[in-house]
Amino acid sequence: MKSSIIESGIKRLLLFPVLFLISCHSSNEKVSENSHHTDTVVIRQMQFDPAEITVNKGDTVVWVNKDLVPHTVKSYAAKDFYSDTINVSKTWMKSITDSVSYFCTIHPTMKGKIIVK
Amino acid sequence: MKIKHILLNTGICFVVCAGLVSPVNAQKAANLTDPEIASIAVTANQIDIDYAKIAESKTKNEDVLKFAQTMAKDHQSVIDQAVALVTKLGVTPKDNATSKSLKAGEVKTKKLLQSKSGKAFDKAYIDNEVAYHKAVIKEVQNALIPDAQNAELKSLLQSVLPVLQQHLSHAEMVQKQLNK
Repeated sequence: MKSSIIESGIKRLLLFPVLFLISCHSSNEKVSENSHHTDTVVIRQMQFDPAEITVNKGDTVVWVNKDLVPHTVKSYAAKDFYSDTINVSKTWMKSITDSVSYFCTIHPTMKGKIIVK
Repeated sequence: MKIKHILLNTGICFVVCAGLVSPVNAQKAANLTDPEIASIAVTANQIDIDYAKIAESKTKNEDVLKFAQTMAKDHQSVIDQAVALVTKLGVTPKDNATSKSLKAGEVKTKKLLQSKSGKAFDKAYIDNEVAYHKAVIKEVQNALIPDAQNAELKSLLQSVLPVLQQHLSHAEMVQKQLNK
């Protein structure tokens, strides 16, 4: 009885590292499957920086508002591409599938472009 | 020549000539202090909010309305940050020749704007915004930033400059549409 408890304990101890390695392996596979990047556009000094960015299809772009005032991001063409207000120190992100030209609806002279490779 | 004509027509010359340029020149012998700069910054922003509120209540033009809404929000945001900074620094804004002239200019310009309606109002409001932002940009560049002693105040003023420059571009864009 006592030896069976010890045996079971040893098995569990041995099993733990094996399960740990399996879990690490599957998590690594997930990363390689999901190889999309995240690109950042900083909004500062009333400009999108960089104003033009080239990404891979499926990449995510994050807009970070480091300006003094709120901004928006809106596509000229695609109706579903609109951030609503991005307040100071806030961010907005979107997965990019097509090239797009966009602007800030609050400050329409602010313009940006995303080019999909 | 055209700008001078517009300014004379809309009465803006008072704001630009008496409200900003002259007091700055008059004070150049003695630099502005940080409390004076804080007062000018808050006053200049508040005046543009006041003009925007008049426009919001009077205009029927969507572009002019959107521009006015942006002015009200952006200038309030700048005031909030300026007030937060001077509170943190323990600076009490101090009235001075420039802030007093700005307020005097506001009274005249508001009277002028209130007297107009329809397209004449839109034109007067936007023409004033173009002239006002040009004058404020000049003031910030030539007096407020060089005279600011505190590094954080100077940095805030430097950050405000692109906001004012974008407002000027936006105002000029609306002005072009109105003149079509």
